[in-house]
Amino acid sequence: MSSDVQQAQPVLIADNISKAFGITQALSNVSVSFLPGEVHALMGENGAGKSTLGKVIAGLHKQDTGTVTLEGRELIPGSLDDAFAAGVRIVHQELAQCPNLSVAENLCLHDIPKKGFTVDFDEMRRRAENLVHQLDPSIDVARPLGELSPGRRQICQIAASLDKDEHGNNAAKVIVFDEPTSSLSLTEASTLMDITRDLAARGLTIIYVSHRMSEIFTCCDRVSVLRDGKFVATNIVKEIDEPTLVEQMIGRRVSTPGAKHESNPEEKAIEALVGDANSEEPEYDKDPILVVRDLNSPGKLHSIALDLYPGEILGVGGLVGAGRSELFDAIFGIDSRASGSILVEGVEIAGKGTKAAIDAGVGLGYVPEDRRNQGLFFNLGIDENILAPIMPDICGGFGMRRLEDELRRVQARVDKFRIKTATLRDTKPSELSGGNQQKLLIARWMSDRTKVLLLDEPTRGIDVGTKTEIYKLINEAADLGLAILLVSSEMPELLALSDRILVMGEGVIKGELKGAEMTQTNILTLATDESNTPTKTAAPA
Amino acid sequence: MSRTESAEPNHAQSTTPSTPRGSFLSRLFSHQESGLVIVIILMMCVLTIYGHFNQSIGKRNLEIPNDARIELLDAQNNAHEVGTIAKRNIAQYRVTHGDDVRDYPASTIDRFDATTNTLYAIDKQNRFLKKSNISLVLKDASFFAIMAVGMTGVIILAGIDLSVGSIYAFSAIVGAMALSALPEGAGWYISLPVGMLTCMTVGTLCGLANGSMSVGLGVHPFVITLGMMAVLRGLTIVIPQQIFNTQSIGGFPDSIMTGTIKAELFGVHPVPVFVMIFVAIVGWFVLSRTVFGRRIYAIGGNETAAQYAGIPVGKVKILVYTITGTLCGLSAFLYLGYFGAGETNAGNAYELQVIAATVIGGASLMGGRGTAIGAVLGAIIIQLINNAMVIFEIDQSYNQIVMGAAIIIAVVIDQTKQRVQARRG
Repeated sequence: MSSDVQQAQPVLIADNISKAFGITQALSNVSVSFLPGEVHALMGENGAGKSTLGKVIAGLHKQDTGTVTLEGRELIPGSLDDAFAAGVRIVHQELAQCPNLSVAENLCLHDIPKKGFTVDFDEMRRRAENLVHQLDPSIDVARPLGELSPGRRQICQIAASLDKDEHGNNAAKVIVFDEPTSSLSLTEASTLMDITRDLAARGLTIIYVSHRMSEIFTCCDRVSVLRDGKFVATNIVKEIDEPTLVEQMIGRRVSTPGAKHESNPEEKAIEALVGDANSEEPEYDKDPILVVRDLNSPGKLHSIALDLYPGEILGVGGLVGAGRSELFDAIFGIDSRASGSILVEGVEIAGKGTKAAIDAGVGLGYVPEDRRNQGLFFNLGIDENILAPIMPDICGGFGMRRLEDELRRVQARVDKFRIKTATLRDTKPSELSGGNQQKLLIARWMSDRTKVLLLDEPTRGIDVGTKTEIYKLINEAADLGLAILLVSSEMPELLALSDRILVMGEGVIKGELKGAEMTQTNILTLATDESNTPTKTAAPA
Repeated sequence: MSRTESAEPNHAQSTTPSTPRGSFLSRLFSHQESGLVIVIILMMCVLTIYGHFNQSIGKRNLEIPNDARIELLDAQNNAHEVGTIAKRNIAQYRVTHGDDVRDYPASTIDRFDATTNTLYAIDKQNRFLKKSNISLVLKDASFFAIMAVGMTGVIILAGIDLSVGSIYAFSAIVGAMALSALPEGAGWYISLPVGMLTCMTVGTLCGLANGSMSVGLGVHPFVITLGMMAVLRGLTIVIPQQIFNTQSIGGFPDSIMTGTIKAELFGVHPVPVFVMIFVAIVGWFVLSRTVFGRRIYAIGGNETAAQYAGIPVGKVKILVYTITGTLCGLSAFLYLGYFGAGETNAGNAYELQVIAATVIGGASLMGGRGTAIGAVLGAIIIQLINNAMVIFEIDQSYNQIVMGAAIIIAVVIDQTKQRVQARRG
């Protein structure tokens, strides 16, 4: 296959694509060409831009510069309709279907067949069966889509993408699969890969966006690697091995720990602050402050066990969807379906909800990943944003607020975290910069009573200067005895801050790395390793 | 109907072992509507049994010819004149008309009216299962069942329309003004189109306003229709007050009342019920069989997906609110014809009854689910509950408590059923 595809003319060319979201440059001058009948993987770390490129090709995102050309015709940027008419389709999760309608109706939704005034149900069934039964003859198209297992729903979505337009023209030529297996069990994923190969054998081009190493080697012909929004290389899968691919994904940064901070000022900043935090094996003379045993959550976490010591920063590495934020939700009591044992200084908090976790005697704090939706109250002032979790404890009789006392506490916190705000009471979080918003959220949870702090992506989307400040605050707090669980998708950050690193994947802890073992290669290898993945039981279809 | 039946054998062939289908019975029970029908049948059984043992006692004119002679006989068969025998001593009444002589035992007779020569028999009837009561339940249900069919479309869209009661009242008042302007003796071919067109046009315009404002301004329909509810109710009160200085507009041609809407058939007035059945069937057909109907379900299931599938989401929404307004107008027209006057407090709190009927009928306020037939059955259940309160002779003030509890219970049962089905699926 690989020798054939080399000689063919490309069917689709993405040329010099750039795309920025706000200040984040998701893609810069990326050019990739795709051949007919190949499965072409787009690979990269989280945030490398692989998904963005897929969406630009399908017309879901509008690129800032550059062109997408299909069979010599330039597609209208950002037009899903034009891409669809030309034969470019995308299968991705956010474009979910209508679960209350039948499979057949979902497949024909854009063009329901009519007989006079009424829906032609026979024709609809025939068309849907034609589409779905090429992929999975056992799907009953009359059933409501919502009753199907996730794998079969995915298959229906792929089937929908094979549809022609109302005149029977414009069959699909290129299909973008955006993380197609992320919600599937292993058996479902392998069915999906068979389907992928089958479609390619019929001459369709499949653009396969994934970060699962094994899938690339099982079903792809070529793989293009992106890193930090830039194109790295296109390789023929048969001619490349896993370590080389990992190296391309991580780039120059993969090397010995000592040489890892050559030219990146950001990493230098971390290094300068942190020093040799992880060069020596940490010693634990004290008892762990947080002990988690056999923590399970249906479909999210499996048998999680971990110990966290006072003064320690325990990093949690893994890829998107590994279950890291879900772990935090479970520990903090947000996930009501979680079961197991969570002991904070011997006090059991599992199953008691969030109130038990933030109780003064327990002292858990949680800085969630999404500060806009999970973190700040954008309708309230700086003071209430900081004091929200402790307000019931510092108020006077009958729940009356003691404004003087509150202001004093807020002032202290704002000073310590150097939050730049005009006023303490009237300023709303939306008036602050992103970095100050993040500091505000961290300030809420870094109070005197917090003993264990869960930090989920504490520096997402903020500038280098504020990042440095936040690293300093985290380290200072740990030195004073605060125990910190840290999730970060930025490898240098995770490596520099953590004393130990747990690597998660598919809801389980895949391994622990200490001292010199803590390298990007090891983290990525553990994270993508599927040998110790629990077999999820496929939902009965 | 015939379509689904003809598709059925075909379907059985394509069904695979992986998707087991239950027996005919379990499939019947899994239907939303069949559950409602079972509830209705159970309620009717209970009420019939109770009504049988607590019969209503009335009197019935025995229709004696005017020239017949009626004698009052005592236990010894001696005839007496009226006023010469105490009622307790009468054993039977003898009616002689030519050669025809009939005896009626005193226990079956309520009273003899000598001045009009009329004999009234004691009439015992099942308190629930009698023509007049059943038609009363169905007639009362029909006025808001018709609106509930429109509301079902709105709720499937994950929207809400709080203004239905006010649209109903406003259309009725405007329609009443038009009808009262007609000459007394106007024929049905004038009064029917005038009344119907006026009411339905007003309703349609109100619905159009609801839909286009909520879609065009991007405001949640709860807010828009809450505002419209108050505005229209206010107009309903102000207009007759300013123009006629009254709160009730009547004086319609007879042709619109006994001539058409309140026409008598087999001793009852079934026209509103016929209209309700017609609207239910059309509603069922539109929602389940037309492209427009399926688009409503698609939008309610996942609006984003509907948009990406090229469905004109805004247009569909506006149309659904408009149709709901039209149905309110139709219902108001029936009300005018049936009661012969439009009052400013008509349809007060109807929005709650209509929403309750829709929800009891299986519609989900989260959108994507609901049927027209279910809404009509829901309306009938509500009226049956009302009727049960009357038959059990429970004070009317308890009505609201029972009604509220019934709504909550109905929805909880429905949700539980959904969850169980999802788990099995």
